[in-house]
Amino acid sequence: MIDIRSLTGKKIFLLDGAIGTELFRAGLPSGHCPEAWNLEEPEKVAAIHRSYFEAGSRAVLTNSFGGNAVKLFRYELQDKAYELNFQAARIARSVCPPGCFVGGSIGPSGKFLQPVGELTEDRLYEAFRPQAEGLAAGGVDFFLIETQYDLREALAALRAVRDTTPLPVWVTMTFSLTKRGYFTIMGVSPEVFIRAMEEKAVEAFGANCTLNPAGMVELIKQMCRLTSTPLIVQPNAGQPRLGEDGSAYYDQGPEEFARYVPELIQAGARIIGGCCGTTPEHIKKIAEKISLLSDKID
Amino acid sequence: MKTETDIHLHSLSQAIIQGLVEEAGPLAEKALAAGFQPLQVIEKACLPAIEEVGRLWECGDYFLPELIAGAEAMKAAMAVLQTAMKSSGQSLKSAGRVVIGTVEGDIHDIGKNLVASMLRAAGFEVIDLGADVKVERFVETAVEEKADLIALSALLTTTMLNQKKVMELLASRGLRERLKVMVGGAPVTEKFAREIGADGYGESAVQAVAVARALMAGGGGNHD
Repeated sequence: MIDIRSLTGKKIFLLDGAIGTELFRAGLPSGHCPEAWNLEEPEKVAAIHRSYFEAGSRAVLTNSFGGNAVKLFRYELQDKAYELNFQAARIARSVCPPGCFVGGSIGPSGKFLQPVGELTEDRLYEAFRPQAEGLAAGGVDFFLIETQYDLREALAALRAVRDTTPLPVWVTMTFSLTKRGYFTIMGVSPEVFIRAMEEKAVEAFGANCTLNPAGMVELIKQMCRLTSTPLIVQPNAGQPRLGEDGSAYYDQGPEEFARYVPELIQAGARIIGGCCGTTPEHIKKIAEKISLLSDKID
Repeated sequence: MKTETDIHLHSLSQAIIQGLVEEAGPLAEKALAAGFQPLQVIEKACLPAIEEVGRLWECGDYFLPELIAGAEAMKAAMAVLQTAMKSSGQSLKSAGRVVIGTVEGDIHDIGKNLVASMLRAAGFEVIDLGADVKVERFVETAVEEKADLIALSALLTTTMLNQKKVMELLASRGLRERLKVMVGGAPVTEKFAREIGADGYGESAVQAVAVARALMAGGGGNHD
């Protein structure tokens, strides 16, 4: 079983970059369910994973970010949750080189728990359960519950995974910088998040999305002061811009993104990847930076 | 020193600030029973309270749950007050008419709903088209409803381009001068808003209200 502590002792564990933006680049129509491609276009999904492994990712995340039954309901695919997730894991597994790993991606439901919204924790648990089962049966090595904003939802997903499998689980939340410091939109602070994750003995945790690499440095520093658990960081590639051809792109190129890697490592990040707008080219540049620093990590 | 009646306004205002959804309606009724005109209650208790909620959000003291609770409490109070106004033949002066929705191909509606409730709370008439709304529908509804503003939400980098399509359709139908457009959503930035030629951009639901007001007053909505 993947032991992240030994993989991050004096080493950096490199994850992959964005899958959503890559799927659109591969032709996923706007408004189409990305997870449906695990059944319809498995080759295209596999090609994205392969390109990340080739760029130097030690692990890739499955194409299952929106694969919970609550989110799939919007596409009337909720009854296919298990199958779509199972295939997501199988596809990534099929292109995973020896010594590399597959992480099962579990994103948020996109809805709110009571009293803000209509959802209950039990309903969420039920929505995450077939996803966890499908990913585990399809052969993932670990889980990444990612881009969470509500601690209660993250914990419901964690419970669904833990009730399914003994595989390791990692968790990331998405923080923004407010006038009072870093918080998720629901008001979860890094302190509260870390306390809850340590209580549940989550194997690795950290932050993703919303912030760019520069914005993540201070957040990771703060988190590092509060825990000795391996910290994950997956920043966005800057902000979306409008290209001359009328398409949207993220404005931080691979070179500029990778420039912050030494600072992120120094801040305490041990598991590094990219979120929105990052590409295999970004991962390649990060890998180059990491190899230059390999004897300086403690 | 507070008079007996001031206390009614103060309690209502506090209920909205604290997001006490169950209490806001009954407190509005009490204020009316104490002899206040509906309009006075709105102007002296409700509007300042929802502005305070917005201020607390911008300071980082309030988060999404508190902001939504505040808007819901405001809605409960306004329901009571507007009924009272109607029965006395009065009507509330609209801050403006807004057609709002999430653009085609995008099913996210959290941010859009939040902006809609904050706009309503601020006295705007809001026509909410929901999520995954076609470009034509925004434009046609805005014309039919004689709207002043169109507010477009997009949560995906692929769908934010549909915000641009709305701008293009407005231009091709010669409606660009008549309708102001504001845009928002997680991937949308000030720069992007400018690039597509939108009139305003709001980073948060609170800012969206300020932008909408500025646009109604004839000013630019961009924060630069």
